[in-house]
Amino acid sequence: MTARELLARIAGAFGAGRRRDADLRRELAFHAAMLETRHREGGRDAESARRAARLELGGSAQIAEAWRDQRGLPGLDTLRQDIRDGLRALRRAPGFTVAALATLAIGIGANTAIFTVVDAVLLRPLPYVEPDRLVTVGDRTAAGFSSNVGFATVADWRQRSRSFESLALMRGWGPTLVVDGEAELVPAARVSWNYFDMLGVRPALGRGFTADDDRSASWQVLLLSDRLWRRRFNADPAVVGRTIVMNDRAFRIVGVMPAAYEPLAEQRYERLSAELWAPLGYDLSGPSSCRSCQHLRGFARLKPNTTAAAAAEEMQVIREQMRREHPADYETGTIAVIPLARALTGQVQAALYVLLGAVAFVLLIACANVASLQLARSVARRRELALRAALGAGRTRIVRLLLTESVLLSAGGAIAGVALAASAIHGLAALAPVSLPRLDHVSVDARVLAFTALVAMATGVVFGLVPALHAGRADPRATLVIDSRGSVGVRSRARSTLVVVDLALALVLLAGAGLMLRTVDALTRVTPGFDARQLLSFQFSLGGKAYATNEQVVAYEQRTLEALAALPGVERVALAGQIPFGGNYDCSALHVKGRMKPNAADDPCIERYGVTPGYLQTMGIPLRGGRDFTGDDRAAAPAVLIVSESTARLIWGHDSPIGSQVRIGNAERGPWITVVGVAGDVNHADLTEPPRAAMYNPQAQRPDASVAVLKTATADATAVAAAARRVVRDIDPSVPVYQVASLASLIGESGAQRRFVTRLLAGFAAVAVLLAALGLYGVVSYGVAQRTREVGVRIALGAQRGDVSRLVLRSGVPLVAAGLAAGTAAALVTTRYLGSLLYGVSPVDPATLLSSAVLLAGVALLAHWIPMRRALRIDPVRALQAD
Amino acid sequence: MLLLTFHMSKKTDVLQGTLDLMVLKTLDTMGPQHGYGIAQRLLQVSERLLQLNQGTLYPALLRLEQRGWITSKWGTSENNRKARFYSLTRAGRKQLQREADDWQRMAGIISRLLGEPDGQP
Repeated sequence: MTARELLARIAGAFGAGRRRDADLRRELAFHAAMLETRHREGGRDAESARRAARLELGGSAQIAEAWRDQRGLPGLDTLRQDIRDGLRALRRAPGFTVAALATLAIGIGANTAIFTVVDAVLLRPLPYVEPDRLVTVGDRTAAGFSSNVGFATVADWRQRSRSFESLALMRGWGPTLVVDGEAELVPAARVSWNYFDMLGVRPALGRGFTADDDRSASWQVLLLSDRLWRRRFNADPAVVGRTIVMNDRAFRIVGVMPAAYEPLAEQRYERLSAELWAPLGYDLSGPSSCRSCQHLRGFARLKPNTTAAAAAEEMQVIREQMRREHPADYETGTIAVIPLARALTGQVQAALYVLLGAVAFVLLIACANVASLQLARSVARRRELALRAALGAGRTRIVRLLLTESVLLSAGGAIAGVALAASAIHGLAALAPVSLPRLDHVSVDARVLAFTALVAMATGVVFGLVPALHAGRADPRATLVIDSRGSVGVRSRARSTLVVVDLALALVLLAGAGLMLRTVDALTRVTPGFDARQLLSFQFSLGGKAYATNEQVVAYEQRTLEALAALPGVERVALAGQIPFGGNYDCSALHVKGRMKPNAADDPCIERYGVTPGYLQTMGIPLRGGRDFTGDDRAAAPAVLIVSESTARLIWGHDSPIGSQVRIGNAERGPWITVVGVAGDVNHADLTEPPRAAMYNPQAQRPDASVAVLKTATADATAVAAAARRVVRDIDPSVPVYQVASLASLIGESGAQRRFVTRLLAGFAAVAVLLAALGLYGVVSYGVAQRTREVGVRIALGAQRGDVSRLVLRSGVPLVAAGLAAGTAAALVTTRYLGSLLYGVSPVDPATLLSSAVLLAGVALLAHWIPMRRALRIDPVRALQAD
Repeated sequence: MLLLTFHMSKKTDVLQGTLDLMVLKTLDTMGPQHGYGIAQRLLQVSERLLQLNQGTLYPALLRLEQRGWITSKWGTSENNRKARFYSLTRAGRKQLQREADDWQRMAGIISRLLGEPDGQP
């Protein structure tokens, strides 16, 4: 085809300059008239001349079709025709169409819903300038991410490294904002002045930070988020330049960030993202600049043409240099330069990909079912198709017709599926764990629709191909002549294969869901080392001049403790610097007098809990040896410490730590502290990890309380929440209270991701089993219908109920057995992808696999129930009379 | 002598080319002509051995037009009827020359091949 012809054909297909069919009709009419005239001149009468002319010209419909083929794009017109035919055929079989559409809507809808989440969380590029060049930098943690960094360290990096265009720092912050007398703890961040420049984001209003803003003496400027600006400042553009006081410190608002700015997710347990930013305000003379102080998040923008791997290599060399220069300050370890996108979503990747894989299975099962329905229907349609073939439709034409039909079905399923997904997304987002970042950006948009369209297209081809090829293979003459028993064998073989696939896929999903259920179950049986029942906790924040001295803090704590203890329904109260599952981490090194490590930095970091006396009892943490704190462990009294069992084991081995003299943090300075007790271990953040080493010191000797725990008299610990809030507010309204939650719910949140995956997997497995059972039911009942006559004969010859039942079972049981075998093999291969999500159960747990298989077998046998009853009710006389 | 029967088949590429050549040559010899005239002329030249299927002729005319080798316009026939007249374009004339040369060359090859003693069945 020449280019010019192609253009002409495109024009012809889309109407522009298209020669009308009427033109051709007139042209052919002229041709016919000329032939007719010639025949008449040859001596024929009018009637026979006309007939001869028509005969000679040939069928004008065929000419018109051949001409149209030439006029438009090849296939386009036939496609239009096929779509019309397909829609007509689907309308003629409403039962089939509804069943297929519903099945596809479930399959495609589930895929669309999960894809919206995967797309928003994992696939969409971060909303910063050239996000591919953004990385996090820090020591490699056990989980493979980058740890916190120190200010002095990064100052050295800036001088020595060549890989980065800029290095920026951030730390979480929670200042108390008081506007119009209303105190609120605002999630916030302090950032190095170049932080937003590095991300490539400019304020929508006012200016960003400058290097001058970012000095320890002078950090006193603020940037507001668009949300906070609207919420608390009525979107007043004059807010820029206004001064507000937070924690007794005056800040000038210099700008408002754009509404579209997405803060980097920071808090693990909070969906809240930063709403205001201040400069970090560090310099190398400050106390937070010690080399072993590491509490900042390090971000960097790679230079163009540099990779994260190359940067990590360079940084490793620098890291080793620095460890040689300051051996006491840096641990051994490796540096991690992690692409930002992966750093933000790495924890949830596995879970989301598992779910995506699972919904793909559901879709495959849906495809197999619809293909099976198509095959069953094509038996009934054989005559129609044979007629088409006899009328000259080639094999490809018939295959194309049937494929068009299935793509039409899948397109319909996709439309219904998108509607399903759109309504399911809210539920999905509500179900999702808070650790899923960027979830508020989940929506059905063009990307999702494109994905769904692609899935629908592929789906249509996948489930349409088998039936279409079968129909194309059929010999038209044989089908037209032979009666309805012609090529049933081939078709039911294909359907049987599809059912086996169905059952196998369903078994894989069941096994996966089973493993997750076992995991969740195992987690509920993990004892975190304390008694979470009836425990309520809340966080509060003391700041400003009112709490500048230890005495002031201790006095506040004393009043708060007393007021809370006096509340009805409260049995015990304690305050702490942090609590397990509270989302805080505060670890320090521990040095034993006379046994100093050559390199203090290599000491393990031990979680430190500053607690009021009675904390262990309130939490239900057992005392394994020595004594608990008492009211006498005051500031002036000798410093004391309680260590956890694992700390004792780690540092003292088999010796008793009681009576040992230790120092916390800096080995050179500070008072010597006496170990007076050993407490049981607690899980700090994750039930699946072994408890971390921990230690407890009295609040009075090191005041930094920010969490209250209340042992309540009732099972529902949150019943006293409102009263507790009121009490704290009455003592000092400027102290914000937040994250009020029962400890049981905090522990629950730590397992939320697994529960999310479990619930969805269980749902998908249920759908899969149902679809597989329906597929099997279809095949078995079709088999019974086909063999009505045979069964009738057998009954007439004296077959018993058991014989008939066996006959029916014989058509299904081998399929079930094959499906279970194939499914077991597939499950053994695929469940290992669940690995990182599992706890307390092996990915190839035989018990889970076996019970899944038994369950599926049971459901599969149930699918025989109705066909079997129908077979038993066959009346031999009628069965023989029929046909 | 050639005996050609045209089918509505896409496999007859050679024959399709032949048909193009015949149509172009007809228009070259006779000047602007309608479909009936072209068909009659081919019938006549082939001494009625070439029974042209109209389902092939009209798509061929459209194809030649799409390629820019012929143009068409409505006019009045010799017996005062409205008819569509096709005529050769300049590109069509060149194409005719090319195709005729190709045909001659191919015909020469074939006849040499058939003329060889070993080529006899």
